[in-house]
Amino acid sequence: MNGASALGRAIGHSRLLRVDPVACDGIGMCAHLAPRIIDLDPWGYPVLAGHPLDDADAPRAAMAVAACPRRAMFIEDGPEKIT
Amino acid sequence: MNQTHLVAEHASPAAQRRDRRLLEGPVLFDAHRPVLLAGPACDTLQAHCARFHRGPDGDTGRARDRDPGTPQARGDLLEDLDRLGLAGRGGAHFSVATKWRAALAAGGGGTVVANGAEGEPASAKDAALLLHRPHLVLDGLALAAHATGAVRTIVWLHDGADDVRRSVTAALAERRAARLTEPLARIVTGPDAYLTGESSAVVRALSGGPALPEFRRSPAATRGVDGLPTLVHNVETLARIGLVALAGTAGHRDSTLVTVLHDRRRTVLEVDPATTVVAAVSRVGPIHPPQAVLVGGYGGSWLPWHVAAHLPLEHRALQTAGAGLGAGVVAPLPAQACGLTETAAVVDYLATAGARQCGPCLFGLRAIADLLLDLARGNGGPGHLRRLRRYTGLVTGRGACHHPDGVVRLVGTALITFQDDVDEHARRRRCLHPGTGAVLPIPARPAVASRSGRATGTATVPSAGIPGIPGIPGIPGGRR
Repeated sequence: MNGASALGRAIGHSRLLRVDPVACDGIGMCAHLAPRIIDLDPWGYPVLAGHPLDDADAPRAAMAVAACPRRAMFIEDGPEKIT
Repeated sequence: MNQTHLVAEHASPAAQRRDRRLLEGPVLFDAHRPVLLAGPACDTLQAHCARFHRGPDGDTGRARDRDPGTPQARGDLLEDLDRLGLAGRGGAHFSVATKWRAALAAGGGGTVVANGAEGEPASAKDAALLLHRPHLVLDGLALAAHATGAVRTIVWLHDGADDVRRSVTAALAERRAARLTEPLARIVTGPDAYLTGESSAVVRALSGGPALPEFRRSPAATRGVDGLPTLVHNVETLARIGLVALAGTAGHRDSTLVTVLHDRRRTVLEVDPATTVVAAVSRVGPIHPPQAVLVGGYGGSWLPWHVAAHLPLEHRALQTAGAGLGAGVVAPLPAQACGLTETAAVVDYLATAGARQCGPCLFGLRAIADLLLDLARGNGGPGHLRRLRRYTGLVTGRGACHHPDGVVRLVGTALITFQDDVDEHARRRRCLHPGTGAVLPIPARPAVASRSGRATGTATVPSAGIPGIPGIPGIPGGRR
């Protein structure tokens, strides 16, 4: 299985990349840093791959999170559904 | 409701006692303004107690049997609601028992909100309930606070809902005079905007922010207003909780309030879960077979009439047909109207009514509305349809609230239901139903919420009782 990161496996969680759409201003830094998992819509806002992060993507995802000028992006432990 | 049904219902006092209804009959509103045209009179506290068989001191047999201070008594109502599978009536149909358990697990001590800010332009059920049975809603509010260990109760309304506010204010004054033992209930109002009643907007406003939806990493039932457990319940949900507490599960008869939009009027009806769409619409007036019906609300689903007519007005049954009960709106579309044009007008309104916070919603809904308006006016072609499908796919699930998801649902079901109209508009640039006026009412008032649109007009109406002292909520006679 290549779905969950080592950390995710250790604590029994998958990990998801998420964005707070209210905080996001569509600056687009994230999509440049992690193009494999972040796309931009026609208006410049990030469209995230909905599936859990795999080991290969985790470092890029962390870079995207750290680079966001609006602090809108974060990595969340699944699988709990947040409403 | 036919005559035989009426006779059967009132045959015996026992049958009457079991027949717990929210309303006595249809309530009529003007479709384009929030004006009440006709309906049963508002219950006073005395009438309310008589109707629901409380004793002269306001006591009820069932409530008397409980010791409200014990965890068992709290759990009792929760178990009843769980057994009945009571779901919220604000649109999301989320389990009440699950919400309560989350609030209890988080330690209680927070807020319960009776949400009467009915943003849905076609809906009037919450107003009808607050105008006629305010005490039933306030009973439910006090019971929910008691059962979940909340210390604060709020009635959340729109600024412009003057008649509703008067009704609730009078009811709270009566409860204060009767010295009910329940938490202090306050009326708090927010801007007259479509999203003011969205639950995260309510929580944000009550925490001192603007009345706009917010992105929440944990549910409000766990961490809401001021970081404490917060339950935002639609007023119909609370009335239902009040009925269950008064009548118990044995006497419980499920029903739903729906607003039928027909002949430029909104009529609020109380229907059994078995009542079909055609039966509900027929109760409002003679109908010529419509071509389609909008179910749920403006963020709801269009269904062709032949599909919808014999479906029961019950959430799960509607789900199997690709719709849902939503906020309980049933809006038949006359055969001579253009479904595409109606949908374009509604989506244009919904795009304007957004909170302007999330990019995909702010830009995406505007783009979708403009494409639809072009198509409706005969200025769009097949390329418009392709972009429409692409954009609706792109905005789904990408807002802080479900506003864009509702628009996607409406547009998606419109493209299927009105396929012939859409083809005619896109390929031949003409309308199959020219010259018909708009059927669905579009509010003329400014629909845009703003970041400066904070909760205003806070009317503090202290109700009776001694906060912190256990008592049976909502039961008169808890003398100081």
